[in-house]
Amino acid sequence: MTEFAAVIPIVIVVLSALAAMLAEAFRQRGERMPIAGLGLIGLGGAAVASAFLWNADARAFGVVRADNFALFINIVLCTIGIVTMLFSDELVDREQLPPGEYYALTLFGISGMMLMAAATDLLVIFLALEVLSLSVYVLTGIRRPSAAGAEAAFKYFLLGAFSSAFFLYGVAFAFAVAGSTRLDQIGMALSAQGTGDPNILALLAVGLLAVGFAFKVSAVPFHMWTPDAYEGAPTVVTAFMSTAVKAAAFAAFVRVFLSPLEPLQEQWIPVLSLVAAATMILGTVVGVVQSNIKRMLAYSSIAHAGYLMLGIIATTSNGKAAVLFYLLAYAVSNLGALGIVALLGTPQNQHDELRDFSGLASARPGLAALMSLFLLSLGGFPPTAGFIGKWYIFAAAVERGHYWLAILGVLTSVVSVYFYLRIVVMMYMTEGVELSRPRVPATAMAGLALVTAAVVYLGVLPTAIINLALASIDTIF
Amino acid sequence: MLSLIVFLPLMGALLVLLAGGRGERPDREPLVRNLALLASLATFAAALVLWWRFDPSVASYQFEQRYDWIPAFGISYHVGVDGISLLLVVLTAFLTPLALLSSWDSVHKNVPLFSIFVLALETAMLGVFVAVDLFLFYVFWDAMLIPMYFLIGVWGYERRVYAAVKFILYTMAGSVLMLIAIIGLAYARAEASGVPSFDLPDLYGLQLAPHVETWFFLAFAVAFAIKVPLFPFHTWLPDAHVEAPTAGSIILAGVLLKMGTYGLLRFAFPLFPAAALFFAPYLAALAVVGIIYGALVAMVQPDLKKLVAYSSVSHLGFVVLGLAAMNVQGVQGSIYQMLNHGVSTGGLFMIVGMLSDRRHTRLISEFGGLKSVTPRLVAAFLLITLSSIALPGLNGFVGEFLILIGSFRWDARLTAFAAIGVILSAVYMLWMFQRVNFGPLTNEKNRHLPDLTPREWALMVPTVAMAVVMGVVPGVFLRPMEPSVALIIERVTGGQPQRVLAPASVDPHSAPPARQASVPLQREVPAVQP
Repeated sequence: MTEFAAVIPIVIVVLSALAAMLAEAFRQRGERMPIAGLGLIGLGGAAVASAFLWNADARAFGVVRADNFALFINIVLCTIGIVTMLFSDELVDREQLPPGEYYALTLFGISGMMLMAAATDLLVIFLALEVLSLSVYVLTGIRRPSAAGAEAAFKYFLLGAFSSAFFLYGVAFAFAVAGSTRLDQIGMALSAQGTGDPNILALLAVGLLAVGFAFKVSAVPFHMWTPDAYEGAPTVVTAFMSTAVKAAAFAAFVRVFLSPLEPLQEQWIPVLSLVAAATMILGTVVGVVQSNIKRMLAYSSIAHAGYLMLGIIATTSNGKAAVLFYLLAYAVSNLGALGIVALLGTPQNQHDELRDFSGLASARPGLAALMSLFLLSLGGFPPTAGFIGKWYIFAAAVERGHYWLAILGVLTSVVSVYFYLRIVVMMYMTEGVELSRPRVPATAMAGLALVTAAVVYLGVLPTAIINLALASIDTIF
Repeated sequence: MLSLIVFLPLMGALLVLLAGGRGERPDREPLVRNLALLASLATFAAALVLWWRFDPSVASYQFEQRYDWIPAFGISYHVGVDGISLLLVVLTAFLTPLALLSSWDSVHKNVPLFSIFVLALETAMLGVFVAVDLFLFYVFWDAMLIPMYFLIGVWGYERRVYAAVKFILYTMAGSVLMLIAIIGLAYARAEASGVPSFDLPDLYGLQLAPHVETWFFLAFAVAFAIKVPLFPFHTWLPDAHVEAPTAGSIILAGVLLKMGTYGLLRFAFPLFPAAALFFAPYLAALAVVGIIYGALVAMVQPDLKKLVAYSSVSHLGFVVLGLAAMNVQGVQGSIYQMLNHGVSTGGLFMIVGMLSDRRHTRLISEFGGLKSVTPRLVAAFLLITLSSIALPGLNGFVGEFLILIGSFRWDARLTAFAAIGVILSAVYMLWMFQRVNFGPLTNEKNRHLPDLTPREWALMVPTVAMAVVMGVVPGVFLRPMEPSVALIIERVTGGQPQRVLAPASVDPHSAPPARQASVPLQREVPAVQP
């Protein structure tokens, strides 16, 4: 029975997803059911279960390990999920999305992400990857009448399927090297070989796994799907997938690269450095010329993937803790920003063009102020979560002597400030357009209050979370 | 005590937020304005109390407060004032109520938000001056950009958005490199003594590899040089100044620019003394170029605000020159000049604001013969103009004189060029004054301009009084800073009695010029404090 302890949070989320499907089956046509509430219960339960498992280092079936690292990611994912549920409650009706499918897929996706963070076997990671990917592909295209949504989902699916194949191929090579797909066994096999002359099979495994992860975290040159998918998906789904998928993918990225593949770091650090540099540059430079906010934030999320990779390249415990902290800081800021875009949209007008934001400060001063806060956090201004996150990541890079990457990071974040400020300019310094903007329901207000509190809390008093992150990484070296 | 002063304006901002009400509430405007003014006046009063209780014989930090913030990295909330920051705190607290008062009649768009940003800006500025922890300093330094950005962008003149974005990107581009240097410094300290620390006292005297010290110094110096602004990093300044609303210009010129010179003095020079001594002549040369260039460009400006903006480039050049000299007179003169420039340029911007409120133009050619129409305004204008061109008996003289003495002891050639700037500043200021106020009244629109209103009296009286007091009894201001200045000079020059201009060909690190002593007693012995 103790075998199950490690998977309890995942099981709770799966149960709530099943409940959402059941509820849909019993729903009368046109009846409004609080299915989001089921999700909230499930995610809250999973968060509580994760808190109880803290420091227990529970393992299940030899392939799932609910160590503090996985639990930290669980809590990040639950936060993202809860905020998404709070936003969705009204939006699902407004956008006429099928509620049962929507909530069930979101929750199944989260369960896959949790499994991905906790898995210690490459094949289980692959399974989790597929669970979360399939959910997100469908969510991308869930607005059935929308051609853009269908196109986005199709592109995302096709490219995602390719990346999964790459990943699986990498798993095969890793099995060829180590005779096992367990992370600890791969690690032992690689360290036994020593660092002198690495096996070509091992290098292939590393390369192909890196490609798979790079796809999921949208690192250059595997980022092409990101802007299309983010733009075509309903905005609330964009908010969810830009934060949750990134958190899960980076969790597995860190776990795979920073323990079993660490003996090969001489080989992969230069490659990942190059990828990170290209990702930061492309994300910010291309972001500058976007006029659609969802595309802009898609490129910004590419750039943030680049910053996050600096934490992996640093390979130190501060690097890993910085990735965890940054994931949380990025998640709350990005959820807030995209959440506001979503809440202002209607089926007729997505409210995602830059000009839609003109004059928002006089029409909706509160929302404009919050939007500015989230954008400034994404841009890395103190006293917000984004500043501490960036500082921590760059400090980790500097600690290992990666001065050039850190300098590139800060300079690209200045460029990114330019495009975040374009939205602020629109809201505060441009004459308003007449737009009928829907009112923001109370549940969504609660979600916004939650992320706002998190952005300010992480920015002003980051110590508790930094210590938590530092306490979460012992088990992965 | 100190934290109270720093966060008092922010509390005022919260009150304003509550008082502002939802939506556009013109009926709440007077309440909001008075509340904001009250908060800034309370801060000023608290700053005066601080000055009263300050012990001028102590060189190190006073009123220190220290709480752990991110202990894993040796980051703490550590604030304190010494003689240098004390005066800058008082200056900031002095100018903010004036800035709020100056926009009483000219800002009508979203007054609560305007007041909130001015007060938030005050908190950030005070924070910059009192921060003893480098991380804390950077947080305030960067946080300050946001309210200023909004002040320029929302309440500025025609090209405000361009100016605001240029301001924020330009300053940020400089300061992010400083962030990397700050992090590097903390890790260098970790290598030396086990744990990283961002606390300034821990970082002074850290032995760095020569090339590392050079890079770190450059990262700091560029960040501060952009803020000063030192030629050739000055191009953001005219745009920001011209487009900012009057309150923004007053704060920008009065306080923000001083952060650059303050940063050089507090951080860049004492943290990296060898590199600082090597680069000081170059900084001084750029400063002198800035003095003359700023003055020449100011001379030909048709726009009053632009003229004052370029005069700032020139005046701040003097400050950097005095700092580069790194002797008692030079540094004291520099700090004095920072205060002067805050008062006199702040005053000039207030007057330009009054003129542009009346005529909605800032072109010099639109004015002329104002002395018969608005004699009182012109009288105040004259006093502030004279203070800006450093007439003896007014504040500007003390600062410039000390700087020139200090830099003459160090390098007579540079000083000779800088002295040309003194003459040029008289030329452009007096010529501008003549064209605006003397001669026949050529423009009919000027015939019925009102003279000073009571509110404007309230602006002018403290400013002019401050200019006179600082000119007549400079000792009041110089005495408290003396020990702190001596301590910093001691840190930079390493207690060496003299420092000579390093020949450009000599590698500073293989043979530090401070220790060469080839030209004895070119500089006077600084009074070394225990």
